Amino acid sequence: MSLKGSQAAGSAVHTVDAGWHRVHPASPFVRGWVGLVAVVYFFGRDAFERMLQGRSLVDPHFNARVPWLLAGGGAVLLLAVGGFLLSWYFYRYQVAEGYVRVNTGFLFKQQRQARLDRVQAIDIVQPLLPRILGLAELKFDVADAGRSAVRLSYLPLEQAKQLRATILARAAGVAGVDGVAPVAPEQLVVSVPPSRLLGSLLLSEHTVAIVLGAAASVALSVYTDNDAILLAVIPAFLGIGAAYWGSFNKGYNFSAAISPDGIRFRYGLLDTRVQTLPPGRIQAVKVTQPPIWRIFGWYRIHVNVAGYGGGERHEHAARTTLLPVGRKAEVMRMLSLVLPDPGVDQPERVFSAGLEGLAPRGQTGPLDGFVTTPRRAWLLAPLGWRRNGFLSTRTALLLRSGRWWHALVIVPHQRTQSMTLQQGPLARLFGVADLVLHTTAGPVSPRLFQAGVEQAVELFDQQAASAREARQHESREQLPAQPPISIQQKSIQEEAHHHG
Amino acid sequence: MRTAAIDPPGVQWLKVSPKYVTVRLVEWAVGTLLLVAVLALPLVFVQFAGWQWPPLWLAIAVPGLVLIVALWRLVLIPRQVRAIGYAERDDDLLIRRGIFFQRTLVVPYGRMQYVDVAVGPVERALGLCTVKLHTAAAGTHAHLPGLPTAEGARLREQLSARGEARLAGL
Repeated sequence: MSLKGSQAAGSAVHTVDAGWHRVHPASPFVRGWVGLVAVVYFFGRDAFERMLQGRSLVDPHFNARVPWLLAGGGAVLLLAVGGFLLSWYFYRYQVAEGYVRVNTGFLFKQQRQARLDRVQAIDIVQPLLPRILGLAELKFDVADAGRSAVRLSYLPLEQAKQLRATILARAAGVAGVDGVAPVAPEQLVVSVPPSRLLGSLLLSEHTVAIVLGAAASVALSVYTDNDAILLAVIPAFLGIGAAYWGSFNKGYNFSAAISPDGIRFRYGLLDTRVQTLPPGRIQAVKVTQPPIWRIFGWYRIHVNVAGYGGGERHEHAARTTLLPVGRKAEVMRMLSLVLPDPGVDQPERVFSAGLEGLAPRGQTGPLDGFVTTPRRAWLLAPLGWRRNGFLSTRTALLLRSGRWWHALVIVPHQRTQSMTLQQGPLARLFGVADLVLHTTAGPVSPRLFQAGVEQAVELFDQQAASAREARQHESREQLPAQPPISIQQKSIQEEAHHHG
Repeated sequence: MRTAAIDPPGVQWLKVSPKYVTVRLVEWAVGTLLLVAVLALPLVFVQFAGWQWPPLWLAIAVPGLVLIVALWRLVLIPRQVRAIGYAERDDDLLIRRGIFFQRTLVVPYGRMQYVDVAVGPVERALGLCTVKLHTAAAGTHAHLPGLPTAEGARLREQLSARGEARLAGL
């Protein structure tokens, strides 16, 4: 983007709401408190200990050195605080004219701006310390796989909520020029009790793998008469414990609520996060059920959202979880939220068939609507051939798979990016083909396994057509005149640019 | 071109330049030579440096097998190049490739984020280029290699124009 453009936009902004705001003054201290504490501890430890012991503040034997030490510590402290204050002073943000702009840095300036109508999702994050102080971070993603989220940290919680409401209202094109939008009311849809979360963690696939691994190592140590193996297992168990704690910490108190500006998720024990997904931002949905969960009728839901990206990190894993564990009724409720118009008459029956349906052994045609792997190809998928199937409704494509690991993937037609039809030599022998749908990065990778060639080719052709129609109907989003996010970096010293 | 079973009906495939075979041959030669040379090192050491391990037959068998597989792939290259095809339909671009493992890719024009044209040194010498399409999905691996430069430029312009006309939000 040219500088001229930004100036033009800037002058237009002044007429509407020119307000450049600053974040809470405590923010840099909250972010950098570890450093401050370290400085104080390093230089003040001696004096502090003496004070505790009730002796004079300064050791009489080191009279000459101590003032210098204290002065040095004070100087470092002053520099740090000064830096914090400067960084706070130059950290400004503005919401105006369809853009959010964030300016940071005093030596190396950076301006980051994001189009409001391109905002894919918006989170209010409260790590432990800011949470104690009543502060929150506002973070929103645009569609570029999570590389450049815009963050505002930290704001007072109420202000963060207000700003979120404003951004969401403008993103939806609701609010007028007069600025402040009311905070949208919420209605609770689903909540996960901690006991069920704990149960789901203990009965997950990971636990099965761990129990098997532990049994194997015990057997090995007994067999080889060697206790060292058991010792080696201890750090592994510590790591596993940390992973469970992480999952529990993230998934604790999960609840989903519906509000006019989107679906709102809250979760977290120590660090809490409130996540808002505006309607129509979900690219693909996956409902899965590991074998043990079937005893309790539990399911979990993951989604692909354009702004979240596909990282392996824990934060991503939590953010792409639409429901960590839930019963079937709750799954149905969530699906009806993310897919308000499934394009069939009896969505519950269709989703049920997708979750646990099984085609009859005989070739009697699709009973529950799902077209499954033809009988001739049962050797390729001896367990799954009656499960693997698809159903194309008016608005979405449903793909089911897995005899033991039940999975149902739903891709709205207007979200399909591109598709590949694949066939290897073995599949050709049995007259089947795989259809892979490409979506934005995330935990869901939709794939139709072993569909009959005729049906697969027909679906391939039809899907291209229905995706086209669905896109044409969807006129809500406007054409982007500019990239959704742009970053300008310039430094005071021109040379700095050349040095890299 | 013979239309395979998984191709959508009624598609007229355009083929890439036969000269692309040369590009693939050069790539094959460089890759194979390097690999076989590295794998043949133990043989050299066994023969001339007095290594006890590996045994001679193994030192011969490994590079030999790799060479046989590479030769098999060499035989396939012309057919593989002939199997690459593309078709511009009204609303999407189709790309097909593969003989044993066939794949047909469809990219709607409205989904394209940008179009790249890449030229490698061998391609440049032969007047060829590679057109790459990018969508918001990382899984879209839409490379169309071995196009004559003029055709590549035409395709890029055409795709950009059609993409702009049909650009949809995510």
